[in-house]
Amino acid sequence: MLDHCIKCNICTNACPVAAVSDRFPGPKYVGPQAQRFRRVGQPVPDAAVDYCSGCRICNLVCPTGVPIAELNARARAQMVAERGLPLRNWLIAHTDLIGRLSAGPQAPLVNALLGWAGTRWLAEQCLGIHRHAPLPRATRYPFRARKQPRLGRGKQVVYFHGCATRAYEPHVGAAALAVLARQGYEVLVPPQNCCGLPLLSNGDFAAARRAHMANVRHLWPYVQAGVPIVGTSTSCTLTLKEEAPELLDLHSHEVQAVAAATYDIFEFLRHLAERGELCDAVRPLEQELPYHMPCQYRAHRIGQPVVDVLSMIPGLRLKLSPAASCCGIAGTYGLKREKYALAQAVGRPLFSFITQTGSSLALCDSETCRWQISHATGVATKHPIELLAEAYEL
Amino acid sequence: MHYDTIIIGAGLAGLSAALRRAALGERVLVLAKGYGASGWTAGCVDVWAAGDAPLSALATLVRSRPQHPYALVGLEALQRGLEWVRTLAAAAGYPLVGGWERGLRLPTALGALRSTCLVPLTMVAGESRQLADGPLLIAGLRELRDFFPPLIAENLRAQGYAATGCYLQMPPGERQRECTPLHVAQCFEQAHVRANIGQQLRTHVRQGGYRRIGLPGVLGLHQAPAVVAELQALSGALIFEIPTLPTSVPGLRLFHVFEQAALAAGVRMQVGGWVVRAEAEGQQLVAVYSRAAAREQRHSARRWVLATGGMLGGGLRSDAHGHIIETALGLPVAKPYSRAEWFDPLLFAPGGHPIFQAGIAVDPQLRPLDAEGRVVYENVAVVGGALAHYDELREGCREGVALATGYGEEQKNR
Ligand code: SF4
Ligand code: SF4
Repeated sequence: MLDHCIKCNICTNACPVAAVSDRFPGPKYVGPQAQRFRRVGQPVPDAAVDYCSGCRICNLVCPTGVPIAELNARARAQMVAERGLPLRNWLIAHTDLIGRLSAGPQAPLVNALLGWAGTRWLAEQCLGIHRHAPLPRATRYPFRARKQPRLGRGKQVVYFHGCATRAYEPHVGAAALAVLARQGYEVLVPPQNCCGLPLLSNGDFAAARRAHMANVRHLWPYVQAGVPIVGTSTSCTLTLKEEAPELLDLHSHEVQAVAAATYDIFEFLRHLAERGELCDAVRPLEQELPYHMPCQYRAHRIGQPVVDVLSMIPGLRLKLSPAASCCGIAGTYGLKREKYALAQAVGRPLFSFITQTGSSLALCDSETCRWQISHATGVATKHPIELLAEAYEL
Repeated sequence: MHYDTIIIGAGLAGLSAALRRAALGERVLVLAKGYGASGWTAGCVDVWAAGDAPLSALATLVRSRPQHPYALVGLEALQRGLEWVRTLAAAAGYPLVGGWERGLRLPTALGALRSTCLVPLTMVAGESRQLADGPLLIAGLRELRDFFPPLIAENLRAQGYAATGCYLQMPPGERQRECTPLHVAQCFEQAHVRANIGQQLRTHVRQGGYRRIGLPGVLGLHQAPAVVAELQALSGALIFEIPTLPTSVPGLRLFHVFEQAALAAGVRMQVGGWVVRAEAEGQQLVAVYSRAAAREQRHSARRWVLATGGMLGGGLRSDAHGHIIETALGLPVAKPYSRAEWFDPLLFAPGGHPIFQAGIAVDPQLRPLDAEGRVVYENVAVVGGALAHYDELREGCREGVALATGYGEEQKNR
């Protein structure tokens, strides 16, 4: 794969981080080029790879198909293995734990505390989490499915909610359940844990492996029974499908079967539409809305399922964000003190696109991207599934 | 999702076909492995690299080489394609000048003169017929690798042009590391950078009495003609761009012209959609599969255009055993009989190397043919670099063939 690189720098030109920072020389240099100097047991040749946000835009645009972002992720993991994981990165990579600690009856207290400038200043000083970084507000009532049907014969799907829906955005989960039910599916919500992406992107591969294998154990009985897994978080579904198995070299039959059974929710709905099974009883929504397809969603390489599915709503017009634009947050990247300003600069073209539409609402599938967009533009954001639920009058 | 036409490949050939079909009201999807090879090219439209009169050379060509893509689609298709691309670029505020009656020759990043037919407005002042009208300055930036003004000037002097090379200073506060041509182009979109560079050029012009200045092809990404006009006003000399090594900003600009027009016309683009196999019913291609996370994605359409390029673009791949495969649909490849015949012993053999004429053989409707000359798929047209029986680099006809076949494909396949 390295030898496929013809050094054309198309990737460097598309990389949103290299575009705004002299500190990051770009995908070609830290990827296929530096890779030639990386050997197990030898010191890391270039620590700049830590500035890769993992957006994977480079992979998409490379004319010769070099998997640059994977090279970078592995290189970072090697660095973490050698130098250890800083406490800050350990903390923000454990989204599952943080979510569990903050959501629930204690949520108002946690939110108040994190809303206070003094706490944020302290968090920046002690932990290196930037004081202005967009943090979500924990919910008092974490997402959980009310009645649990048994794994059985009828039309069933498993819903993978991810950490963010559980601890911060239960309304997204509610919309997903309602839309799936409208298609005649019974929705199962088995126990599940973090998909492991924050661990992967912070280089803690050992913890990511534990997280992924736990999910595979949870999900395997359903997959074995032929039940698809559907998620609303595009980065969780990407991790289940590809990131975790590939980066962690997990290739057992169970891992592969779980990957092959996992769908982003709009990908799933588009399949239904292609088979003529998607409920089309929608009410018109006379609106023009900006829609940003997150980088992690593009990395599924399945086109634009949201655009395809929402095109059935009369009156709705989506204005697509510029190709290869990135909001900058990249999960936990833009929270870090040394990267916050960089992440804001990365997102600037997207932010100005959104403000220029003049809309008070923007659509985006990924939670951290939504928080970043709202933080930077003041524009409210929704998951497209919430809009579809509205169109179904659910 | 079902489409009228799916185009595989996002180079000039594929996007021309996409634009043409979208203009007729078709639902069009472009599936591309990555960005096309446009960023590897000079951003000019090469039609035929034969001296001053490409048109008459082409008239001979279509008679003597009936399998050449130009002969298959006809010179009218080429002419229509050239007129169309001029209209398209002008509408995007990035005019292309020149024509196929009279070839143009412009300096390269090595100081050689290269033949082409249409060039962006930002390059035209470097046309060789005018270059001799006075002292000439070639100026570069040290932050930009692979562009050496002294070398370019020396080679131009060897050809009789009074050229001098110099380096300019990047204004303070801008990128200090070495960076790519695109990053420098983005700097030139800022007024203070233009003012600063313009001042430096003005000083050189005062001292050296230069009439023309050649600069690397990095003078802005979206507003290049305006950047050049401003630098001309500031410096008091005529400015022209010299295309750099990849990534070539003029190549990207041309790509953006096509891409923006395609998106505006409602064409769906899926970059990162790497087509790996085909599904057929008899002589009809019914679906293709592209690589995606965890499983392949199936795409179906009524008609198909294969525009994946040749060896360079990745549409063809060879292995160590001398097999050459067409990577997307697995079409039969017309190629020299054995590996021993791929190359001529002479590096600069006048007839070129046979391997560079490998590709997909097609009928006059551009439908792919097998070794026996039978049509493989009736609803597929092959355009651009994937075609056999021509050598786009040696013959200097890369964009000409892309436009003639890409834009002309629809006329042949309704
Ligand atoms: S785009 Fe691909 S081939 Fe070009 S430099 Fe980057 S990795 Fe190499
Ligand atoms: S993954 Fe994104 S940030 Fe990292 S090198 Fe690629 S384009 Fe740049």
